[in-house]
Amino acid sequence: MKKRIVAVLMAAAMAVSLTACGGTKEDKPAETGSSAAEEKGEASGDPTKLSIVLRGGTYAEVIKECLPAFEEENNCTVEVMELSEDDLKQNIALDALNPQGSYDMCMVDGSWMAEFTENEVLADLKELGYDLDDDIIEATKTICYNDDKLYLAPYYGNVTVLLLNKQNVVDAGYETDGINTLDDIMAICKKAQENGKKGFIYRGDTPNNLVVDFMPILLSFGGWVVDENNQPTIDTPEFKAAMEYYMELIATGDAEVKDDLIASCDTGAGTMGVGWPGWYTPTADSTADYVAITGVAKEGDQAYNANVYGIWTIGVPANSQNKELGTKLVSYLMDKDVQLDTVKIGGVPCRYSSLQNEEVLAEYPQYEVVCKALEGGVYRPVMAEWGEYCTILGTELGNIVNGVTSVDDGLKAAQEKLVDLLG
Amino acid sequence: MKDTNTKLLTTKAQKKRFAYTMVSPTVIVLLIMTAYPLIFTVFYSFTDFNLLKSAKHGAQFIGLENYIDLFKDAYFRQAILNTVKFTIIAMFFEMLIGFIMALFVNSLKIGQKIMRTLLLLPYLLPTVTVALIWRMMLSPNYGIVNQVLSALHLPVYNWFSDVHTAFGMLVLIDIWQTAPFVFLLLYAALQSVDESQYEAAMIDGSNAFQRLIYVTIPNIKGSLALCALLRTIDSFRLFDKVNLLTGGGPANTTATITQYLYNYGIKNLNFGFGTAGALVMTVLVLLLSSFYIKRAMS
Repeated sequence: MKKRIVAVLMAAAMAVSLTACGGTKEDKPAETGSSAAEEKGEASGDPTKLSIVLRGGTYAEVIKECLPAFEEENNCTVEVMELSEDDLKQNIALDALNPQGSYDMCMVDGSWMAEFTENEVLADLKELGYDLDDDIIEATKTICYNDDKLYLAPYYGNVTVLLLNKQNVVDAGYETDGINTLDDIMAICKKAQENGKKGFIYRGDTPNNLVVDFMPILLSFGGWVVDENNQPTIDTPEFKAAMEYYMELIATGDAEVKDDLIASCDTGAGTMGVGWPGWYTPTADSTADYVAITGVAKEGDQAYNANVYGIWTIGVPANSQNKELGTKLVSYLMDKDVQLDTVKIGGVPCRYSSLQNEEVLAEYPQYEVVCKALEGGVYRPVMAEWGEYCTILGTELGNIVNGVTSVDDGLKAAQEKLVDLLG
Repeated sequence: MKDTNTKLLTTKAQKKRFAYTMVSPTVIVLLIMTAYPLIFTVFYSFTDFNLLKSAKHGAQFIGLENYIDLFKDAYFRQAILNTVKFTIIAMFFEMLIGFIMALFVNSLKIGQKIMRTLLLLPYLLPTVTVALIWRMMLSPNYGIVNQVLSALHLPVYNWFSDVHTAFGMLVLIDIWQTAPFVFLLLYAALQSVDESQYEAAMIDGSNAFQRLIYVTIPNIKGSLALCALLRTIDSFRLFDKVNLLTGGGPANTTATITQYLYNYGIKNLNFGFGTAGALVMTVLVLLLSSFYIKRAMS
C-alpha cells in the first residue's frame, strides 16, 4: 500500500511539473493587435519593453548608440539581440511561426526579402504610418516595396567597393581615382605581382562569398545571375567572358578570408579586393582606401551598374506585440538627423543629406565613393530560392576557381543544377 | 498449498507492477524527449518541410524524394567520403597520441598532476576559440606559422584556402584539441591496472614493449574501445571547426556531411531535406561504430 502511495505521488509530481513546463502564453488573455502591450505599459507607468534582433558588428553597434535617446523619449527599454547573418535569418523565421512574436524590430538582409514577404513575416510599415522619404537614395528603395506595401527601410548602406592599397596602385603607375575599367584593375594587379606583391585577393571560403565577390565583375561584363523572369543565366557568353577574366585576375593574388583580405590591403601584402564600407574606415593617411567599381570592362565599353548591395534593412515583424512602437523605432532610426549623427560612429546611411553633407565629406571623404556606389547599386535577385541558388552557384564557382573543373564545364553544371532547382 | 502459491504469485505480480510504476516516469520522459523528436525527424524526412513555407502552406508528403536527391548529389557523396576519411584519420591519430600521452604521464614519478592539467588544456578550450587561435596562427599575412617558415626559407601556404592543405589542417586542429580527451580516459584506465601484473611480467623477463602488449593493452581494451567509439561518433558529427574555418571549401574538399546539410538544408530552412540527411548520417555512424558497440556488448 505504501509503495502504491509513493508511486501515485511520484506520478502526480511528474504531471504537475509537466504542466508547469507548458506554455504560459495560452493562459494569458490574447493580446492581439499592436498596442495591447504598449497600453499595458502606459497604464501602469512602467516602461514598455521592446525586443529587437540585429546583425552583430558595426551594424548593431550603430543602432545601439541611438537607443538611449529613443528609450527616454518613449518611456521604453530596448533589449538588443545580436546575431550572425545565418542565425539572424533562422531566428526571425522561427519566431515568425509564433502567433505572438518575440521581436518588435528586426534587421533583414535584402536577399531574404522575397522569402519573407511571400510568407508574411513582416508588417506593412505604410499601414503603421511610416513611409520612406525622398532623401533616401532611390535605388536602395527598390526591394523595400512589394505590391505597394512597404516592408523594409534601407538602414545601413553596405555596397561592394574596391578595397585597395594606395601605394601598390601608385607603384603600378595609377592613381586611386584613375581606375576606370576592369582592364585597369588587371594591369595594376599584374604589375603588383611583378613587384613581388599579391594582386587581387578574393574570398574563397563560402559559396556566398565567392558569388558576391564575383558579381561586380559579372555585372561589368553586362551579365547577371538571372534574367528578368528569374531564370538562370549562367551558361551565357557574358558570364563566360567575366569568368575567364576573373580567373586571370585571381591568378595574380590569393584566396583569403575577410580579415586577411583587409590586412593584405592595409599592409600592402595584397593590392586589392572586393570589400564593403563597413569593413574599413579610410582616413587621409591610411594605407588603404576604397573606390566604387565603375562597371566598365574595357575602355569605350558601356558602363553598367556594378556595385552589389549588401544593405541591411530594418522592419517590424508581422507578429510583433508592439508594432506601433516598433515602427516608431524604425522611423526614429531612419530620421535624417539621427542618421547624420551615426556617421561619426561608423554608420553608412542611404541618404543624400548624410552622404553629401559637407562637414561629413570633409572628415570622411570616402562617403562620396559610397554615395556613388549606392546610386549605381544592384540588389541580389529577389527570389525565395536565393539562398539555395547562391549555394549551388557558389559551389560551382569554387570548383572553377580551384581548378577542379573547367570554366565551360563548371558553368554548364551550374546552369543545369539551377534550372533543376527552379523547376 | 494452493493458497501459498496464489499468495506468492500475487506478491510477484505486485512487485512487477511496482517496478513498472517506478520505471514509468522515466519511460514517459524518454518517450517525450527522445522518441518523439526521433519520430518527428523520420516523419519530416519524407516531406518537403520548409520552416517558413510550410507554416503557411503545410508540408507535402514526397516519399523518398529527399533521399533520392541526397544520393544523386555528387557533393553529398563527396561529403560522405570526406567525413569517413576525416573520422578514420582523426580517430587513429587521436587514439595513438592520446595513448602515448597517457603512458607518458602515467610513467611520471613527479609532476603528474601538473602535466595532466597542462595536457588537458586544449580540450577545455571552446571550439570557437580553438578555431580562431589556429586561424590567426595560420594566417597568410600575420600568422606565426608562415613567418617561421619564411624565416627558414621554406615554402609558405595559404593553409585554409589551398585544396592541398585545408583538409589536413582541419584534421590537425581536431587532433590537437581532442587527443587530450583520449588521454584523460586512457590515463584513468591505466591507473586501475594492477601493479602486481607488471611486477610478475618483469620477473618473467619481459621488456617494456612486451609489457605494453601483453599487460597494459589487454587491461585497458575496454576503455580503448569506448574511446574509439566516442571519437568515431564525435568526429563523424564534425561541424563547428569546418563551418568556422573553411565553410566546406575550397572546392568542397573539407565539406563534411553536417556542413553539407547546413549549407543545403538548414541554412535555407529546408528542414525536410536536412532531416533526411541527418538520418542517413545516423545510419552511417551506427554502421561505423557497430564494431565497437558489438565489442562493448560482448
